[in-house]
Amino acid sequence: MKLPQPPREEHFRGGAHGERATARVGMLLGIAFTICFVTGLLSHLIQHPPGWFWWPSNPVWLYRVTQGAHVISGIAAIPLLLAKLWSVYPKLFGRPLVRSVPHAVERLSILVLSASAFFELSTGLLNVAQNYPWNFYFPTVHYAVAWVAIGSILVHIAVKLPVVRHAFSREDEPEPPARGLSRRGFLRTTWLATGAAVVATAGATVAPLREVSALSWRTNKGTQGLPVNRTAAAAGVVRTAADPMWQLTVVTPAGTRRFAPADLRALPQTTAELPIACVEGWSQNAVWRGISFPDLLRAAGSEPGVDVRVSSLERVGAYAVTTLPGEHTADPRTLLALELNGEVLDLDHGYPCRVIAPNRPGVLQTKWVERLEIR
Amino acid sequence: MRTMRILLALPGLAALGFGAWLFVGYAAPAWPDSLKTLVWLAGAPVVNDAVLAPVAGLAGLLLARLVPVPWRAPVQAGAVITAVLTFLAFPLLWRPFGAPPSPGLHDDDPGTGLLVTLAVVWGLVAITGTVRAVLAHRNVRSKGRSRQT
Repeated sequence: MKLPQPPREEHFRGGAHGERATARVGMLLGIAFTICFVTGLLSHLIQHPPGWFWWPSNPVWLYRVTQGAHVISGIAAIPLLLAKLWSVYPKLFGRPLVRSVPHAVERLSILVLSASAFFELSTGLLNVAQNYPWNFYFPTVHYAVAWVAIGSILVHIAVKLPVVRHAFSREDEPEPPARGLSRRGFLRTTWLATGAAVVATAGATVAPLREVSALSWRTNKGTQGLPVNRTAAAAGVVRTAADPMWQLTVVTPAGTRRFAPADLRALPQTTAELPIACVEGWSQNAVWRGISFPDLLRAAGSEPGVDVRVSSLERVGAYAVTTLPGEHTADPRTLLALELNGEVLDLDHGYPCRVIAPNRPGVLQTKWVERLEIR
Repeated sequence: MRTMRILLALPGLAALGFGAWLFVGYAAPAWPDSLKTLVWLAGAPVVNDAVLAPVAGLAGLLLARLVPVPWRAPVQAGAVITAVLTFLAFPLLWRPFGAPPSPGLHDDDPGTGLLVTLAVVWGLVAITGTVRAVLAHRNVRSKGRSRQT
């Protein structure tokens, strides 16, 4: 009996295979990965700001749009990557396996590229669903591999640049007849699948698509009409946040002041419509009401524009203590919010009070605030 | 072009090196737990090349044999979109490792959502296929007529 033989490179005769299809899909995939990398790096810098970094509080929607773009371009990259790899799949069966040292390096670099690209897309997709079938801290590893992915993409483009040029210069050539799906059919299918993937999920951040995107990972069913990422129970603050003896402590160089809930309500109240935008790519607008940081800082004997260290009643977790930069504490739309959408803040949204600042990542909008410190 | 290639390759290599350095910074202290991360990294291309791509290729061949020409492209596109959407829904449908449920996050019904979306996709496949089949039929008939005259 004869064993079935693996296919050879020349057996693949569909229109999907060939430099013209590969270059087309590859270009869009490169754009998607670039958007992902830049927006992801931006969020990383906002959350771990180095000395030279500065992030404005205006426009309020900037963070929301960048992180929506991060997740949407990541989703778009999934069908694009699969199409790209299918386009070059015959090369896997090219013989000899290794022709020369540069050829070996190139094949190895493509393995690194494909591994890091798959890693970023699969871990990102699982992260937005908050499904963690791994034992590592997602942000650290997703960030490290992002550099590997973008670096190997740049090197890959540098290596393939002559092929890409050649492919795009042949744009007007007639298409040779292909067995099965034609090149145009393959490209059209790829664009359709990419569009379907985006439409099915983008409602997480694009409000008009909210009712259309059936695979979106957020809904309108959140408490007070807003999604909750970490409930009071999950943060372990149910008892301390509901404590009637709760007081806000504000430490300034001028001394320490304590504010009971009635004291906070007696201060001038400001209303602001601000989005809450998660790095996981969901975002939603809401109407917040509370004390603006400039008012609060003056009431505590300080001045707007200073960095404020915010501590939560939440004792564990990476975001229990955050720093609100001066850029934001000078903005009158940065609130210590007591109300959300016309109601007293729900326990899950940070009762008795929370930070809501324009143009900041959701994880830094600290809930269940206990203490503010100005140094 | 040479300059362009160098301008792409140099920052590329630098980013690659920086990423590798960051990765080792995570993986070395976490050894041997980080072995699983390496398996995850190396496993994805293997799964694609050994499972996803052959299955897609065979399915494409099969559809090309079984489905009549006017229907072929819409059905192949429908099949690809079905696979992509199912893949995107998978983390929402499969949740033994999921975080505790939070109000407003993942509390929709992704199973029904997927079925409804796929029904829309295949509805469009049916419409496109029918239109193409009718047009192809008309073309054949009009060609037949023009031959008679």
